[in-house]
Amino acid sequence: MGVSAGLVRKILTSQQAGLMIVIVVLATVIAIAAGSQQVVVQQVRNEDGSVTLVKATRNKFLNADVLVGYATNTSVVAIMAVGMAAVIISAGIDLSVGSIYALAAVVGAMVLEYYGPTGSGRDLPIWGTLIGIAATMAAALLCGLINGAGLVALKVHPFIITMGTMLVFRGIAFVSTKARSIGDFPRPTTAMIKTDLGLSNLGIGIGLQPVPMLVMLVIAVLGTLYLSYTVAGRHVYAVGGNPEAARFSGLRTSRVLLSVYVVVGFCAGVAAVVANGLYGAAQCARGEGYELKVIAAAVVGGASLSGGRGTAFGALLGAMLIALIEQGIITLGIDQNYNYIIIGLAIVIAVVLDRLSSRAAERRLSAARQRQIAPAGAATEKGAET
Amino acid sequence: MKRILLLGAVFAGLAMLVGTGCEKKEPGAKPEKKVFRIGLVAKSSTNPVFLAARVGAEAKAAELSKQYGIEVVVDWQTPPKEDAQVQADRIKQLVAGGVDAIILSCSDAKATSGAVNDAVDRGVPVMCFDSDSPESKRFAFHGVDDLETGKAVMKHLARQMGAKGVVAILAGNPNAPNLKKRVEGVREEAKNYPGITIKDVYYHAETPDDAAKMVKTVMDANQDITGWAMVGGWPLFTDALQTNWRAGVKVVAVDALPAQLAYVESGIAPVLLAQKVFDWGYRSVEMTFDKVYLHKDVPERDVATLEVVTKDNLGQWARKLEKWDFKVDPKYLQMK
Repeated sequence: MGVSAGLVRKILTSQQAGLMIVIVVLATVIAIAAGSQQVVVQQVRNEDGSVTLVKATRNKFLNADVLVGYATNTSVVAIMAVGMAAVIISAGIDLSVGSIYALAAVVGAMVLEYYGPTGSGRDLPIWGTLIGIAATMAAALLCGLINGAGLVALKVHPFIITMGTMLVFRGIAFVSTKARSIGDFPRPTTAMIKTDLGLSNLGIGIGLQPVPMLVMLVIAVLGTLYLSYTVAGRHVYAVGGNPEAARFSGLRTSRVLLSVYVVVGFCAGVAAVVANGLYGAAQCARGEGYELKVIAAAVVGGASLSGGRGTAFGALLGAMLIALIEQGIITLGIDQNYNYIIIGLAIVIAVVLDRLSSRAAERRLSAARQRQIAPAGAATEKGAET
Repeated sequence: MKRILLLGAVFAGLAMLVGTGCEKKEPGAKPEKKVFRIGLVAKSSTNPVFLAARVGAEAKAAELSKQYGIEVVVDWQTPPKEDAQVQADRIKQLVAGGVDAIILSCSDAKATSGAVNDAVDRGVPVMCFDSDSPESKRFAFHGVDDLETGKAVMKHLARQMGAKGVVAILAGNPNAPNLKKRVEGVREEAKNYPGITIKDVYYHAETPDDAAKMVKTVMDANQDITGWAMVGGWPLFTDALQTNWRAGVKVVAVDALPAQLAYVESGIAPVLLAQKVFDWGYRSVEMTFDKVYLHKDVPERDVATLEVVTKDNLGQWARKLEKWDFKVDPKYLQMK
């Protein structure tokens, strides 16, 4: 009982409590306003080849198809936002994340195309998939390493370095593909990401692809473990919060900075693997403008651009909130022309609410400390009198 | 300071030298030239349809070079992504670089018309293809009639849907004038089918991933949709919609590039309306050469026809795509 009460208190006073409340309230509003509709929950293929649709009445928002689809749509940005949170906590920024995502995707795609049904290596689809994933991750990690090494070695602000590499990486993707869309991947590449894990047999929906959502959750958990429960992760907060103090206390700040850019590269690589599987093709234009979405998700999730503050879980929530607004606009049939205005305002409101909730928590903490100090001080004075 | 002044003087001198060295252009008459340069400014060099247009333009340039014993050169100056301002800058650069003519597909007719008019005033004729700038001084346009294209999409879709159901329109960039016209055409044609209602028009960033994401999201949120009128083929460039597509929902889309053919085969998109994207470049170079070099009259509007691609002519269309330099799955090449 004590443990669960403590956990609830911890969640309610956590940095992300405000954001979670906003998401829950918004989701509730969308669900109520959306109403219900007939949803296809199963497609049964008959012996004559025709298909029978099994329908049921469900809430227009709270149904398996929409919720899993929403999580799938969130996954790519959320995965990269976890890495971006680490960078922002270290007081850095990575403008090249969208380009890393694109370059890693096309590098992987070129390998996958070779092992695809029309490629020379078509006899090895499983090996081809594994090699394609390895190539995707290697390209992404190398890009992250270049960013980190560049800013550590050249001592240039990460904004400048990553702005440069944003163009360089995108340019390499462009030149290497000749702007061609690369597809025809081996079947396992798309099958492993698009699998419904047997959910379609449950009769709850037909378009369920939960793997991207699961990958997103795994990355968020790994990000949380790294940032909050490892020494290396705590060093990121220390360097971002006060780099001078971190250096004087003996931390190798260069190594810490290098590591966070490799982490964001890793996350962009994972996102590229997911997207290649999900869309079955890659183009050099992939993820254009995603850097701002990813940064927005991390910042909405509580990461402070001045460093030292933020969490992987918060970045996930930030991405979920932005995607929820986009989903809500479509579910409620709101005029698409208002899309940007609504999303922009919602981001500002979410950040303000989050900051207000954080300040209230800090005030409560400070008041509690004052109360602890006051009786102790009074006791000391009393002791001195006697 | 002295060094800076000296450098400045050297550069100014060089600039004057280059300036006086440039020959003055007389609009029109240059039949004696050895090189005929045509600037090609399409919407985006990451869009495969414009890459095919480039192949077409270069093919026609090679033919003309052989036929007339001069060098016809296509100067590809297409921005990597859609940006009308960059297009306007590229037009200015081409004019400054001394091209003989420019062919252009406008990302935004209003934003590029100033640059088009300036180019024409400086003696460089401009022709539009795919997306027109009718209020500018361009001398001709080659491309489909967008209003009619929209109508054709709806007509074929209505046939596939048995003239009843709910249609969603996928429309890409809300600022593109040609796409707006197509949407208008879809809406206009839909009025002829009392059993069909239009759900809404859905816009998105013009990348295949974003388009596919939009279609899935809209489908999940609106289970009453039974048809998609896609005025561009963006989401069909991925295979994202092949899995668990809701049975009975039909798609008719503009364009029929290699990646889209699988949707015809699977029956999700029984009809694709193909623009002859190779001809965009081929015909534009031909018309420009006729007008500027040979001083022939060309039509002000050269309307291109759409090719209807279905299972019945999939192989025939695939072979045409291959000829246009597209990489096509060999299985389609063997079909009839």
